[in-house]
Amino acid sequence: MKIMGYRRADGRVGIRNHVAVIPSVFCANNVVERIARAVEGAVALRHPVGCSQVGYDLELTARTLSAMGTHPNVAAVLVVGLGCERFKPTELYESVKKSGKPVEMLVIQDEGGSSSTIAKGIEIARRFIQQEKNRSRVECDISELTVALKCGGTDATSGLAANPVVGAMSDRLVEHGGSSILSELNELIGTEDMLAGRAINKDVADKVYAAIYGIEDKLRSGCDERYAGRNELISPGNYDGGVSNIVEKALGGVYKGGKSPVTDVLEYAIPARPGQKGLFLMNYESHDGEVVTGMIGCGAQVVAFTSGRGTPAGFPLAPVIKLTGNSFMYNKMRENFDFSASDIIEGTATIEEQGQKLFEMVVEVANGKLTAAEKLESYELFCVARALGGHNNTLP
Amino acid sequence: MKKPLRSLVLSPEDTVAVLLEKGSKGDIVTAGDQPIVLLEDIEFAHKVLIKDSAKNAPVIKYGVEIGYMLAETPKGSWIHGHNMGCDRGKKRREQLK
Repeated sequence: MKIMGYRRADGRVGIRNHVAVIPSVFCANNVVERIARAVEGAVALRHPVGCSQVGYDLELTARTLSAMGTHPNVAAVLVVGLGCERFKPTELYESVKKSGKPVEMLVIQDEGGSSSTIAKGIEIARRFIQQEKNRSRVECDISELTVALKCGGTDATSGLAANPVVGAMSDRLVEHGGSSILSELNELIGTEDMLAGRAINKDVADKVYAAIYGIEDKLRSGCDERYAGRNELISPGNYDGGVSNIVEKALGGVYKGGKSPVTDVLEYAIPARPGQKGLFLMNYESHDGEVVTGMIGCGAQVVAFTSGRGTPAGFPLAPVIKLTGNSFMYNKMRENFDFSASDIIEGTATIEEQGQKLFEMVVEVANGKLTAAEKLESYELFCVARALGGHNNTLP
Repeated sequence: MKKPLRSLVLSPEDTVAVLLEKGSKGDIVTAGDQPIVLLEDIEFAHKVLIKDSAKNAPVIKYGVEIGYMLAETPKGSWIHGHNMGCDRGKKRREQLK
């Protein structure tokens, strides 16, 4: 099966053709935003990091920003640095250049301040847009497509309808040779035996246990007996909604990954090895923005995001498909949703039927159809993960 | 007779069904081919036991054990934290000792 995408110099396939303006440090945010605002089609990647960081925390910033710059949904990159930051703009520039993409760099301290940098940046971004204006999509195999799987603003219908529908879609994509990424491992505590049982070999099974236990032990170490009621993994809303314990809650979430074998466990914002396909786990937690940014950093070009309560959040570089099993919220926040799985709750459709429909929507979106979040230019999900103190969140 | 409540059995081996609408004592859900009478009021999206279960019997949803019965419980009962135990957290703590 084929999709229409953009083949990049490094061989990867994108489904959007963005000109990205990326600050190497938060001090450059205003300059970056003013450049992007002045140039139709340019996208700013505002973030709060890039300085006063050490160790794994700084590594995560460097890795994530490089992953955004080299992402296949990006056609060309303008890096804007301040000049004295810990994460050097030249490191970001060099990593994008290595991928073969057009890239330029401006450093505010060298350019002589904000206004002159903005003026030059606008010129460069306009040139990139001009160069990309006539680029047309080419036929690519659907096996090049990776979908990030996410739930947020969960309600009782998420685990019964929307998440299983995403799982059925994911299984269809994997059958066609494509890939999907499931993460939010803190929400999967209790499903480790099932996931490890689906691992393609013993090494991957061991990685599944290490990742889920690692997150569980980290959470436990953060529990504090002084603050009663602040140490629970399931919320009062979950419980009132009929979810009795973390295992049941986790099962409602894990079905976003369908029933496919687990190919590997990826680290935050590090793509799978070339040729590796199928269902992946990514070793991270469930902050909506941080985990989506990590999965896109792992190479996902599109996100399937279930939400029973409704969330408008989107991502600057990748389409986010919003779906719900809650017909009331679907109608109430209609402009923020792309897909309703509520027929399952009404009893008029099966999970398989809705999964096939969602799969077709993923293909349409890959081919260029804009999602609700793209039309609204919602970019909140771009958040670089932090790793402060002794929590280094790595596999042993 | 009243129309059966809409409900969902997520996997064939499940011992619970999920109500897709609010149910009252005496309402009926159909699980497989057998009608089950609700023994109490049960909220939307909450679980009803569809198989008489002994003390310590596993509670199965999504085809997976989500907990165990704290006491012998007849089908038609509401299943939640008051009558279902879950040792997942304890198991990990013991592993770490």
